[in-house]
Amino acid sequence: MNSKIDLNMSRRNFLKLSGAAALAAAGGSGNLLGVQGASAAVKPGDFESKFGVCDMCFNKCSMIARVRDGIVEKLDPNPKFHKSRGMLCARGNAGIRQLYDPDRLKTPLLRKGARGEGKWQRLTWDQALDHAAEQLNRIAEKYSRCGVVFMAGADMQSLFVHRFAEAFGSYNALSHESMCLIAGTRGFLDTFGEVPIPDMRYTKYVVMCGANRFEALVTPDSMDLMTAMKEGTKLVVMDPRYTKTAAMADEYHAIRPHTDMALMLAFAHVLVFEGLYDKDFVQNRCFGLEQLKEHVRDNTPEWAEKETEIPAGDIRRIARELAAAAPRAMIYPGRRSSNYTDSSQIRRAFAIVNALLGNWDRPGGLTAARKVGLKSPHIEAPFYENNPEDRIDAGVAKLMFDEEGSFKIARDAVIAQKPYPVKGFFTYKTNPAQTAANREKTLKMYEQLDFALSMDITMSDTAWLADLVLPSQCALERTDPCSAQQGSSACACVVMRDPVVSKPMFESKSALWVVSELAKRMDLGEYFDFTVDGFREEQLDGLPGALEALQGDGVYYNPSKLYGVYDGRIFKTKSHKIELYNERYKELGVDPMPVYHKPKEVPPLKFRMVVGRSAVVTQSSSQNNSLLQEFVSDNNLWIHPDPAGKLGIAHGDRVRVDSPVGTQKLEANVTYKTRPDTVYMLTGFGVLSQDLRNLKGKGACIAEVIEDEMDTLTGNMAMHETIVTVRKEAA
Amino acid sequence: MEKKLAMVIDSFACIDCKACQAACKEANKIPVGKWRNWIKSPDVEAAARKGGRMLFQPGNCMQCEKPTCVEACPTGATYKDASDGTVKINRELCIGCGQCLPACPYGARYRHPELRVADKCDFCAERRAAGLEPACVSTCPNKARVFGDLNDSRSDVRQLLKKGNFVQVVNKESNTDPHIYYLGDPGVKDWPVKAQMPSAFAFWKNMAGPAMKAFVGLSAVGVGAMLVKQFIMPNDAPEDKDKGGDEHE
Repeated sequence: MNSKIDLNMSRRNFLKLSGAAALAAAGGSGNLLGVQGASAAVKPGDFESKFGVCDMCFNKCSMIARVRDGIVEKLDPNPKFHKSRGMLCARGNAGIRQLYDPDRLKTPLLRKGARGEGKWQRLTWDQALDHAAEQLNRIAEKYSRCGVVFMAGADMQSLFVHRFAEAFGSYNALSHESMCLIAGTRGFLDTFGEVPIPDMRYTKYVVMCGANRFEALVTPDSMDLMTAMKEGTKLVVMDPRYTKTAAMADEYHAIRPHTDMALMLAFAHVLVFEGLYDKDFVQNRCFGLEQLKEHVRDNTPEWAEKETEIPAGDIRRIARELAAAAPRAMIYPGRRSSNYTDSSQIRRAFAIVNALLGNWDRPGGLTAARKVGLKSPHIEAPFYENNPEDRIDAGVAKLMFDEEGSFKIARDAVIAQKPYPVKGFFTYKTNPAQTAANREKTLKMYEQLDFALSMDITMSDTAWLADLVLPSQCALERTDPCSAQQGSSACACVVMRDPVVSKPMFESKSALWVVSELAKRMDLGEYFDFTVDGFREEQLDGLPGALEALQGDGVYYNPSKLYGVYDGRIFKTKSHKIELYNERYKELGVDPMPVYHKPKEVPPLKFRMVVGRSAVVTQSSSQNNSLLQEFVSDNNLWIHPDPAGKLGIAHGDRVRVDSPVGTQKLEANVTYKTRPDTVYMLTGFGVLSQDLRNLKGKGACIAEVIEDEMDTLTGNMAMHETIVTVRKEAA
Repeated sequence: MEKKLAMVIDSFACIDCKACQAACKEANKIPVGKWRNWIKSPDVEAAARKGGRMLFQPGNCMQCEKPTCVEACPTGATYKDASDGTVKINRELCIGCGQCLPACPYGARYRHPELRVADKCDFCAERRAAGLEPACVSTCPNKARVFGDLNDSRSDVRQLLKKGNFVQVVNKESNTDPHIYYLGDPGVKDWPVKAQMPSAFAFWKNMAGPAMKAFVGLSAVGVGAMLVKQFIMPNDAPEDKDKGGDEHE
């Protein structure tokens, strides 16, 4: 009954088993774990099992949909998908509710009233596409093709939106990353020459700062960390909030916000001056030890105690414990790093301590990304003469990633209409109106726009502000390109999304269909002269057996070396070594090593606002889901009992939160889970949209109160730089 | 051979992510506001003040060896299935009287608002018939829930219990010999309440022949031999009102 399939079973055996043999082995009447081929006969009333790929967050977990009479009844994890360690989280399970959500966008909608008023006219798809093509062409002619900014979320069809931007001729394509992880990417890239994948499964000691891996689930890290902890791995968490990750930790310190770098410099100090760093490794593979030694000379644990409020003795001991466990020890790199104005340098300090531990490319340390061999078909973008020189967001942040852009900088530029006019905004499954700090500025940006188009599954706040809203398909309805994933010891792999239901709900369409139809209307058809199947063929070219594996197992693995990848190989940095000291930074006038600056003082009875994650909430996209609503239906303000008492605020009181950019009102959660100088609320509430019926009128919006500071090197939004006041609302 | 289905749960591995509750809702079409399973949380504020390790405790109907709900049922709708050891509800026989609800020390039962019958976890009988694991077990990110047959010496549950370091969470006055075993420290221990048996019990007992037969026929198989260490709670704890939802954060 407890039927488990050996994950090491060869694919061929699995395929054999997934037919009738599996049924016999399971002793049941249905299908075990394998998925029936298209030809398998399904008796009425029985369920079919079909592979899908989850889209409730960015992890893209392979799953098995149980479909009865054409209705998806249950989503189960795919046990062959090692990256998720064969799990499906609460949000994944709630994917069915997204498919059948009565609040889904059903037809194209054209704005009739004032922007954000919620008056719409239904259009046919032909009318909608004709209108969009006309508007985009008009902006291209009157201003330039760069006069349209494109922005797409972390979706398996976002690449088609970016391709459309290229074909249309706008350089201004943004990803979600400048509101998420690019500061961390920068810090690690500019130390190791690539962004490492932590090997949580085999590590023995983890220091986790600026990450909340047991609530912000990342596969396989979250699962692998717990598996390692069951075997005795020590987890030390530093967080201003007592998160569930802190609650799981062996040791927890409520670190003062914006002092992580001080902690890292003190770790480096102990490792260097006590001679605890990996001497062979640092001598052979790292550049700049002498400079680092000078740099951290005064960063003693005693110094760091004053900054972090973590006792010096603990800092020294943790550094020594890290060294003793090295190389199976790490400072966890983390993911979302949209925190502070110097987040790139903070994460670089994380990277430097890892380098000193010599954990690079070794079991239980930081591993190199592995080649899956998936090809990236691209187009020769047409050249348009009247286009401006550069991106709208260029030249502000010295180390911005051009391929990701910066929403913060782009928005400022659109508001100013400088360096050139931008009049169009084209979004796909991304919701800056809810997630980008300082919503007032987002609304100001919209004032400058002649045409905003939003493709989404439901009426997000960003769709609510648009002129034309197009209903998108959800994950269970779509045929998507292949997607490569990195999984450390879970192996790099490829997933591919096929529809689970025979036809999409309502009049929803895929992003590819929409941009292809637009392209046809705009003489750009040649760039979309393909089907998803053809596109996949190109992607999988040179990977024999991959398509069969994807069809039979829901996942394709291309096993490759996990450790020792860099043996005899140089690092992709200027010095060809791991850069403790970064000469390129020096040349650019950037601090070549992370320089600590004291954080903003938080005045008495004022608070630093921080944002964070829950395992049942994905940014701003899942809060209306009828199943997830049963877990989190609202947000509230975490405030420590000491200041709450002084302010006369009791648990459950309605409070008003004021920042320099806005005001929000919500319920107080008086709790020891946050520091006395720090308040917190969950993302994604306080919506503008009135078409999210489970959500409207509930909670408060972080974007209303958070100031739009940014990481100065990358343009990553800095979400933890806002000081707020909290007052009890008169009853 | 007859089965004795059971769960072994590792509270250490539970991160309170709600995947098991979400999976159960979908697999068993549980109405809004009702739950067949739960994750018990210790006093978060106390833990936060100390900054210490929290242990969350997943659970569901414990398919007890001595189920008080079966005793409390006046019609024989609730019975112990001799073939697999689970406690079942025959919806045809259930009159929706609700007497079984307070009779469960774990609050594992609820009255289904549309079907007007008692409902609770059946270890996903329908899924098992199709060769699948219970939904909460297969979906759990950290495999904190392990499911299997105690009568099968090769089963995962038997292998885990062999290590000996496990407990049952019970109320001293209503020790129903539950078939959910917690590895090591289960976290919250003082929550099962004393079973509230219906007052007209003696009368109904005579009417409920089939149920009682099933109950008697199933006593003391297997588990007694496994050296069960039990947490016996001194007092009745109030029923946990927060079974389903998390604190709203």
